[in-house]
Amino acid sequence: MAEGELLIKNGVVYDPINGVNGEKKDICIRDGKVVESVKNPKVIDAGGRVVMPGGVDIHSHIAGGKVNSGRLFRPEDGRRGLEAKTKVCRMQSGYSVPNTFATGYRYAKMGYTFVMEAAMPPLAARHTHEEIVDIPILDNAALPLIDNNWMTLDYVKSGDIDLLTAYIAWIIKATKGYGVKIVNPGGTEAWAWGKNCDLNDTVPYFDVTPAEIVKSLGEANEKFEMPHSIHVHTNMLGHPGNFGVTMATYDLVKGIKPSKDRQVLHATHTQFHSYGGTNWGDFESKADAIADYVNKNEHVTIDIGSIILGDTTTMTADGPMEYSLYQITGRKWTNHDVELETGSGITPFLYSGKSPVNTIQWAIGQELALLVKDPWKVALTTDHPNAGPFIGYPILISMLMSKKRREESAADMHSAIYDRAALPSIDREYDLYEIAIITRGMTAKALGLHEHGKGHLGVGADGDVAIYDMSPEERDAGKIQKAFLNTKYTIKGGEVVVKDGEVVATPAGKTYFVTPECDDTLTEEMLKKLKDKFEHYYSVTFNNYPVQDAYVPNPYEIKAPMRG
Amino acid sequence: MQTIRLKLKEEVMSGNARIPVEVDSLTPDKLVGKNEAEIKAVKVWWGNKEENTGELFDVRVEGEAGSAEEVKIVMEGDLSRVKHIGDGMKAGEIEAIGDVDMHCGAMMTGGKITVKGNADCWAGREMKGGELIIEGDAGANLCAMYRGEITGMTGGKVTVGGDAGECVGQYMAGGEILIKGNAELLAGLNMHGGKITIEGDAVMPGADMTSGEITVKGKVQDMMPSFKFAEAATIEGEEYKKYIGDLAMTEKKAKGVLYVK
Amino acid sequence: MEITDVVCALCGCVCDDLVVEVEDNEVKKVKKGACSVGKSKLMGHGRIKSPAIRENGSLKECSYDDAIKKAAGILAAARRPLLYGWSSTVCEADKVGIELAEEIGAVIDNTASVCHGPSVLAIQDVGLPSCTLGEVKNRADLVIYWGANPTDAHANHMKRYSYISKGYWTAEGKKDKKLIVVDVRETKTAKVADVFIRIEQGKDFLVFSALRALLLGYEDVVPEEVGGVSKKDLLETVRLMKEAKFGITFFGMGVTQSTGRHNNIVNAIQMTRAAHTHTKFSIMPMRGHYNVNGFNQVCTWETGYPFSVDLSRGYAWYNPGETSSTDLLVRRECDAALFIATDPGAHFPGESIRHLSKIPVIQIDPFANPTTEFADVVIPAAISGVESEGSVYRMDNIPIRLRKVVDTEYLPDEEILEKILEEVRAIREKEGE
Repeated sequence: MAEGELLIKNGVVYDPINGVNGEKKDICIRDGKVVESVKNPKVIDAGGRVVMPGGVDIHSHIAGGKVNSGRLFRPEDGRRGLEAKTKVCRMQSGYSVPNTFATGYRYAKMGYTFVMEAAMPPLAARHTHEEIVDIPILDNAALPLIDNNWMTLDYVKSGDIDLLTAYIAWIIKATKGYGVKIVNPGGTEAWAWGKNCDLNDTVPYFDVTPAEIVKSLGEANEKFEMPHSIHVHTNMLGHPGNFGVTMATYDLVKGIKPSKDRQVLHATHTQFHSYGGTNWGDFESKADAIADYVNKNEHVTIDIGSIILGDTTTMTADGPMEYSLYQITGRKWTNHDVELETGSGITPFLYSGKSPVNTIQWAIGQELALLVKDPWKVALTTDHPNAGPFIGYPILISMLMSKKRREESAADMHSAIYDRAALPSIDREYDLYEIAIITRGMTAKALGLHEHGKGHLGVGADGDVAIYDMSPEERDAGKIQKAFLNTKYTIKGGEVVVKDGEVVATPAGKTYFVTPECDDTLTEEMLKKLKDKFEHYYSVTFNNYPVQDAYVPNPYEIKAPMRG
Repeated sequence: MQTIRLKLKEEVMSGNARIPVEVDSLTPDKLVGKNEAEIKAVKVWWGNKEENTGELFDVRVEGEAGSAEEVKIVMEGDLSRVKHIGDGMKAGEIEAIGDVDMHCGAMMTGGKITVKGNADCWAGREMKGGELIIEGDAGANLCAMYRGEITGMTGGKVTVGGDAGECVGQYMAGGEILIKGNAELLAGLNMHGGKITIEGDAVMPGADMTSGEITVKGKVQDMMPSFKFAEAATIEGEEYKKYIGDLAMTEKKAKGVLYVK
Repeated sequence: MEITDVVCALCGCVCDDLVVEVEDNEVKKVKKGACSVGKSKLMGHGRIKSPAIRENGSLKECSYDDAIKKAAGILAAARRPLLYGWSSTVCEADKVGIELAEEIGAVIDNTASVCHGPSVLAIQDVGLPSCTLGEVKNRADLVIYWGANPTDAHANHMKRYSYISKGYWTAEGKKDKKLIVVDVRETKTAKVADVFIRIEQGKDFLVFSALRALLLGYEDVVPEEVGGVSKKDLLETVRLMKEAKFGITFFGMGVTQSTGRHNNIVNAIQMTRAAHTHTKFSIMPMRGHYNVNGFNQVCTWETGYPFSVDLSRGYAWYNPGETSSTDLLVRRECDAALFIATDPGAHFPGESIRHLSKIPVIQIDPFANPTTEFADVVIPAAISGVESEGSVYRMDNIPIRLRKVVDTEYLPDEEILEKILEEVRAIREKEGE
């Protein structure tokens, strides 16, 4: 946090959490926090430009084992983004898999100040944290994968929700994680034998279904005052016709009452889960069905996972899906199953406007954002780098704000968009207030971070501000895209980190993690079973497993007491 | 026509360490229109520092050029540690008198390079067009791809007077390579287009190829066990056996053609 | 005092269940967990007693400060410095090393370039279908060691992770499993295998291609003998692979350093993918040093590339064969070198040692070794995993933290490098750069 006072004047502020919609307003910051007024500040004149709280990305793969495997096996991606070190910045590399330094700088230049690492395999959590520490500027957190863990599967089978609760508390603490991540539940354990699972299939040897896993974890999560809900990558990702599985998954947790004022399930990269048709030949968009569901229900939020055309690197804990993708493209493929816990697959992919399938996929992500009526249920993501690199966010912003741009782009793509997708028929255009919601307001709320100073500029919030070099009246899509790529200013904790699109300071970010406070008796009983697993099945010892403090040098702890 | 003579000064390579000079900024299209003083001021990397070309080379310019096509660069001196000669070249001519270091002619799209000596590894890497003549031997990875890429050479013509090292034309997608001597291990590895002719011997040619054509006029050591004999063929009056491969890539993908004696 | 869960800092197995007895600030006994080689490392041996600078041919003892100043001066003045080693120290030290390399425009490289670098190159071509060692322990019923001899080089490997180990679906240990060893001679590991396949030197590439063709069903195309292996034996191997529920191939220097090198590994991986069309199959390199992988991980996330990184221009240029240490030294390209946690004197080709004798060389290591004989500045370091803690990555990418079990006066690698970096920056500032 910077000491001293900062005044940002003459900015047109969009702060949706506080209902500020394009007001000319001063922002006062002292010692890194937003305050009511300042006496002797350094002054930044925003000159009528658009001002928003620092961006909050709810889902991005930026640090950890599979991200690094992605970098390691794509030296050709590395050379697409080479930039020499400067007096302020370390060296940079990469496009879809940037090095840690480039990740921090490029996000900060887009006005982002918080990024959630989407999937952390618990056994390798140290790796995620070690990399995060090397990402400059951004505050951060990471979501541990809990849904294919043998402890989870055993407790789901026995129906012991209380003990499952004790386990999720332990694992979130042990990994310094932020919440409960679910990816292809049951399917990734099946993949360790080369198989997969649909929502109601039985996981080989464990005799539970993915549906049971999701429901149980949904219940267990709400036993604590967790800032975030379960964060779910539903089964059958990427398969034509999967939209039914998607909605059936949402239904599973409909009756659960959240422990805080938020969703019960955050559904991630929903674009990949909104597919109709029965094969790649009759593949079509079912974004309208998903949007309709989200419109009618209050317990689900989504992030779109929208496509950016071009080359990228896919990487998820959905091992079987990555294998199918490799079988289609024949490109290089890395797989890494993690004992007792999860797995991952990585393969490069090219999204081409010439392909009917890719064109429809491209439409789906945007359709979801445009057809869901309430922007407080929608987050802007590309599931970086799966649907595209995060550096493409400004392109998406300009698409959502400009029907003209969508039309021009569609005209250059495959004609399938006109009969197997809905995008060309949608007139809606996002305004800046709504953009602010889906890139910082909603995401902070869905993550529970708005209670910890993120995503807004009310008194007490972190002094994280983005000043975009455009006036609120700007309608030209190209200019909007340019403005959102490199800020006029990015301020982090009251310190100017980006000025005129250049990084000028690189303070270290904080790692946010949650400490669920579980009942001792339950914990003790759970530990007996857990230690047995370490004794016989894990390849590391129980005592060497938890992430040591040395890996989190800038901690921000959020306690989650048991629900009263 | 303009000739730019660049002679590497002896002191550059006379120390205990022979630190490479990288001359990617010295191609005809980058130098066209510059006078002698300006050429001397063009920066080149020598290890971790940028130096003026004039510090490392004796520079002499003869004649004038209206376009890059009319520029010929003649490089002399100990070029064995001069890397990236003609890298990215678009037009014009470069003549290198002596053995040259790595990446000669890499990513070139046009023009002509003649090496009157041997070329070290990665000559013609990712070449797109133009002509590269190496009168002596070529090191490993001639016209190959960069690590991780699935496409190497896509166009142009390369002739090697002597032998070539391992992995000639790896991931080749187009263009033509002629090796007058022998090719070491794995010529045409991962080839998916273009044509390679080896007048001497080859070892394990055509591994993992899915398209393109390789002709070996000498002996083949260690023929790939995953190639299928198709038929006898006559090329320029000589008898050859035609093989299709590489079936290890699956039969469906195996559209590569290998002619051996 | 007994200390449990101690992590062995020797080979890529990174066994972490060692029990050690410490008394009077000394490791007295390694009670369990370690193989004999690991045990001897923990018990310690001939250390470098003091920092030293070579004057008139012989090493003269000096302070840490003097040695560090001398080292910094050498590095700041160099036009093509090489920073090499890294595989036997911790990630925290690697990070400082990379920052130092970036500051001085050096080439930074680790022992992978003479060891499993080819495996990395192969992964960059075709990827790596793999898993953690616990997966092998719990599921594998077919274990293949190809060009690797764990009985000698990774003594606990079969006991902890693969053939003799017992896991969830492998509760009977080796009774439930088949072990295949493929090598050019009958090694100690081959002697305990169910199937030993002797392969002709340099023919691995051909045999992998043949197995791929057979796994894909093109039996007619494959000749009666490939690389010294009969078609009958090849077909039997394919049968065992197809019938397995979970197969794993571990491979070592036998394939990475023989004819074909990284292309052998590409082919081994492609064989794994062909096997995967029938059943679950994975492959894993037998990384040698306990943190060779760790350096590759850190270097990748910080520079974009795993090793052989040339930072002359302030960003990373990666091209093994050009930017790899032995190539740089044999070609006499470097004008200064720093060796840390490694011993080029023992392992590098003679030509490169000849060049090293002509340029300033800095050594950072706890132990004296052949490199000490010609180093111009010698800086003794604390022993990682005994005297200092830190992060390491096992051969299967699992991160484990080394423990510190005794105190020491010696500085840890990380601190030595930080001081050198600080001094280099001071020199630069004075020179107005």
